[in-house]
Amino acid sequence: MQNKMIGYVMILAMLLFGGLSTVQAADGAKATNPEAAKVEKMIADADKARKKAASVEGEWRDVGKMLKKAKAALAKGDYKTAKKLAAKAKSQGEMGYKQAVAQKDLKMPSYLKY
Amino acid sequence: MKHLLKKIAMLAVAGGIAASAQASPEADREAFQNFYKNRFASVPMEEYPNGVYSIDPVGRENWEAIEEFPPYEPFIDEGQAMWEKPFANGKTYKDCFADGPAIAGIYPLWDKKNGMVITLPLALNKCREANGEKPLKYKKGSINDILSYIAYESRGQKTNVIIPKDDPRALAAYEKGKKFYYTRRGQLNFSCANCHLQNAGMNIRADRLGPALGHTTHFPVYRSKWGTVGTLHRRVTGCNKQVRAKPFKAQGEQYRNLEYFLTYMSNGLELNGPGARK
Ligand code: HEC
Repeated sequence: MQNKMIGYVMILAMLLFGGLSTVQAADGAKATNPEAAKVEKMIADADKARKKAASVEGEWRDVGKMLKKAKAALAKGDYKTAKKLAAKAKSQGEMGYKQAVAQKDLKMPSYLKY
Repeated sequence: MKHLLKKIAMLAVAGGIAASAQASPEADREAFQNFYKNRFASVPMEEYPNGVYSIDPVGRENWEAIEEFPPYEPFIDEGQAMWEKPFANGKTYKDCFADGPAIAGIYPLWDKKNGMVITLPLALNKCREANGEKPLKYKKGSINDILSYIAYESRGQKTNVIIPKDDPRALAAYEKGKKFYYTRRGQLNFSCANCHLQNAGMNIRADRLGPALGHTTHFPVYRSKWGTVGTLHRRVTGCNKQVRAKPFKAQGEQYRNLEYFLTYMSNGLELNGPGARK
């Protein structure tokens, strides 16, 4: 039941963040240097979210890779890609954290009969 | 106590909420083994060390053919040479493990002095380091040779993980491993149990999901996919990645505790390593 809920929340979050990142990416196309600072901040925030997930053993597989790629894109001045990746990394960091915290107390599955 | 647990379990089923996790390791093991006894009623207990081939007749035929010329044999021979070759200081593994090489049956064990689970690979590296040798890597490489040899020499021993009652930290480590096993992880939101208990016997892409009972009896394992022999922690790393969770460090606390729990679940089953798998 609770797991299903988490699932729905995740799908919602994915849709939301996916949508957001396209909007931001469009803005990023006409970016200049202040834009670089903004992207840098996004990447830093995403890395914070990643670390927070890791602190509860909830980090997802690709978040670190996304951030690496985001940094590389930023360095090349490709803000659009960098923003998109940072946004995705941040949302996955947050979802990984939520997923772990929602299961803080172990519930044994009902198919195991004691 | 048992009554209470039964009641909780029944309530849980009725309400769709799972029982909370206060059972003893023995009650856990019974429930775990009974789950498979019910699901695969025709599979005898002593078959589970054969992994997925205990429930997959087609895969089994292929596997039996492979076992006629075991692909792990050269690794056993290499491992024997390693076991016998003195370290630079003249000592050997035997100086660390007087009962060796057939020592797989006592691992993983609780080390009261250091307050941690000690697995066989960790114990081997401790021995090496105490003798001035470089530790071996924990997933790939020559650690698998010596593990193959030890596993082979230990065949026929029974899984018998002990959780000493005189140190509450041992039970805590077991509970952490158990929690790990039943926790959903990664973008795909799967726990180990979702695949290896709940869906055991089902197919996932081209793979039949095997029972977790017996998962620890035959490591290290020669995997055709790897083209070589690999450790349990390497395998678990793969299963974590598969659900898009970031894997943990081989021989780090998480996987050691997990191994403590998972091996306990197989208590009573015979060791039959090294194994061969797809
Ligand atoms: C998405 C499904 C899935 C999840 C989740 C999963 N596994 Fe697996 N696992 C498999 C498949 C498929 C295989 C290969 C077939 C088999 O032996 O079951 C496998 C194989 C294994 C093996 C080797 C079995 C053998 O006989 O050599 C071990 C050990 C294992 N898994 C442990 C775990 C642990 C521990 C977890 C949780 C961290 C886990 N698995 C999570 C799908 C999964």
